[in-house]
Amino acid sequence: MTTAENVTIQDAPGVNPNADAIISIRNLRKWYQVGGGFMGFGDKIYLKAVDDVSFDIERNKTFGLVGESGCGKTTTLKLLLGLETPTAGNIYYEGEDVATMSKAGKSEFRRSVQAVFQDPWSSLNPRMRVRSIVGEPLEIATTMTKGQIATRVGDLLSETGLNPYQANLYPHEFSGGQRQRIGIARALALNPKVIALDEPVSALDVSIRAQIMNLLVDLQEEHGLAYLLVAHNLATVRYMCHDMAVMYLGVVQESGETEAIFNNPMHIYTNALVSAALPSHPDIQREEFLLPGEVVSPINPPPGDVFMTRTPLEVDPNHKWANERPPLVEKEPGHWVVETPWSMAADAGLKVELTGHEGV
Amino acid sequence: MAESTDATVEEKEVSSEAVSVDTDGFGASAMGDEVVLDVKDLRTHFTTRWGTVKAVDGVSYHVKRGETLGIVGESGSGKSVTALSLMRLVPSPPGNIVGGEVVLNGRNLLDLSEGEMTSVRGGEISMILQDPMQALNPVFSIENQVGEAIKIHQKLKGEALWDKVVDSLRKVRIPAPETRAKDYPHQLSGGMRQRVVGAIGISSSPAVIIADEPTTSLDVTIQAAYLRLLRQIQQEEGVGIIFITHDFGIVAKMCDRVAVMYAGRIVEVADVRTIFNEPLHEYTKALISSVPKLEEKTGRLPQIEGQPPLLYNLPAGDAFAPRSTLTFTPEDAARRPPLVEVKPDHWVQLSKSSVADYDKFADMMPAEDSE
Repeated sequence: MTTAENVTIQDAPGVNPNADAIISIRNLRKWYQVGGGFMGFGDKIYLKAVDDVSFDIERNKTFGLVGESGCGKTTTLKLLLGLETPTAGNIYYEGEDVATMSKAGKSEFRRSVQAVFQDPWSSLNPRMRVRSIVGEPLEIATTMTKGQIATRVGDLLSETGLNPYQANLYPHEFSGGQRQRIGIARALALNPKVIALDEPVSALDVSIRAQIMNLLVDLQEEHGLAYLLVAHNLATVRYMCHDMAVMYLGVVQESGETEAIFNNPMHIYTNALVSAALPSHPDIQREEFLLPGEVVSPINPPPGDVFMTRTPLEVDPNHKWANERPPLVEKEPGHWVVETPWSMAADAGLKVELTGHEGV
Repeated sequence: MAESTDATVEEKEVSSEAVSVDTDGFGASAMGDEVVLDVKDLRTHFTTRWGTVKAVDGVSYHVKRGETLGIVGESGSGKSVTALSLMRLVPSPPGNIVGGEVVLNGRNLLDLSEGEMTSVRGGEISMILQDPMQALNPVFSIENQVGEAIKIHQKLKGEALWDKVVDSLRKVRIPAPETRAKDYPHQLSGGMRQRVVGAIGISSSPAVIIADEPTTSLDVTIQAAYLRLLRQIQQEEGVGIIFITHDFGIVAKMCDRVAVMYAGRIVEVADVRTIFNEPLHEYTKALISSVPKLEEKTGRLPQIEGQPPLLYNLPAGDAFAPRSTLTFTPEDAARRPPLVEVKPDHWVQLSKSSVADYDKFADMMPAEDSE
């Protein structure tokens, strides 16, 4: 059994960090030990939440991570934020490895990478006034005076579409959309360069979602922000993201420019996800490709291609990629996909064509 | 088109449960014009310390046999309270159904005694709730929970009960229903649990199923499979479905007709294609256009300004007027807008403040005192 110490490092989108990208993630792994290994005896059992994930977040751009629950997208986001320690792999910030940074460098990294969470009802402390919620990062990480902080909080609130006079209110006095604006104001407080967005609109009302998405797009342009967006709604990803990666069972199956992937999804899993997404008009009727079986447990996943238990095609158990993890292959410039004899949509005769209803 | 037919054949071969389902969203599954559920001027109010909350304020709609009616709205629009009112499950106090009629198979449910109502709930009309984790009791087996409704409504026991339980599970395509029936909820995946909830819903062959956002907690692929299953069951059983949702994608995929609710009232009702192609109410238009599209990369999304109103403090006239971008005078918005059938089967809450084409239909406005 492989252990965390002897994992093989593979060449997925370039083994070296991309110096131009603001965040470069290479061969990132997060394994949780869930059993075995008592007093050094027996095989350890790992839940492989994230298993060899590599991607770049470009400056001033949005990178989307999609997949079903349990695919490891949220764990990846937590690893970036430093809320979890990676088992293996590296996170590079502006070309520098975060793990080996100096103390000052690390705190600069922490200030520069902020987060907005899914549920604005549970991510704001109900006992704190808005001015304390938004001002807290400034109190902790800067030497600003109370007066300066108050001014800055006022500016942040107006920038996110709230009234500076609302700084004295408590979170419960706001609606869902306004609360999410408070969360965004808090994330902006330290002038970050990267914001991790964990399902930022899925808990909001439909008429409010467009407001928040547009606010995020505007802030990105104004401040040159880079976003890591974790979402399960593919339409939101297509609207917000420049680049994206599709994850299944802790492994990236396909990644590249968002439009390249939506126009030409190559992996069977990507096609299955896109075909299952809801149409935007009743005249659009896509046939769904239902994959056989259900998502398997990330505890002891297949040693080779993790997708092989879900493919509709026949799997040769003696094939190299049934026993060894297949790498991402660059099929078109900037469009990477895990290629095995059973993973390509073209080989299965599947192809989702996303056409508008006028074209039908 | 020839290409797409070929693709369909191949998809069928690879999909694990290839089934022939008519996925056309409009009218195809509606069987005749037989109205099974007719809701007239339903009013449900809640008494709170801030005043009376008119959660449902004069809502009328009907559901035909084999038809899916979508009720769309934001949180607080009254869509869920409407459903609870049909089942007479509104918590009282503080809630009260203060007026209206709910006619199911010729009987007004609001006139029934509590005992009679118990036999209707889960029998003639049943409900599929949002969260399958909370809808199932963790300490009873699947057999027990599916069997409970059958025992009450069909008075079956012993072997007949067991057969019916297995049959219901088979109808919702649960693999190996005989073994699954002995399982407990925690042994099933989310998608399977939601199917069990569906099995309970259809076990007594109801005339109407109310599905209250049944797929919001499911993953996209499981959601797709579940929606397909609902559609299949509907075609087999001819049941009318009321689909409560905030997602226009689900509406596009599932519904034959759509009622859009805002602030406790229906602002527009029409068949699904009319709602998408020629919406008249500004709120309907804005809701549809503010959703990003999967099929193309769109430019900046149009957004609806403002917040949904607080129900205890509604404007006297047109509730949508404060968010409307049309030009109108305060007098235009002062009157409570009536729901008018402007075209055959296309009803809209008509007011100058919320309907851009108001002038076209102005002569259809009923006289002021007719309300």
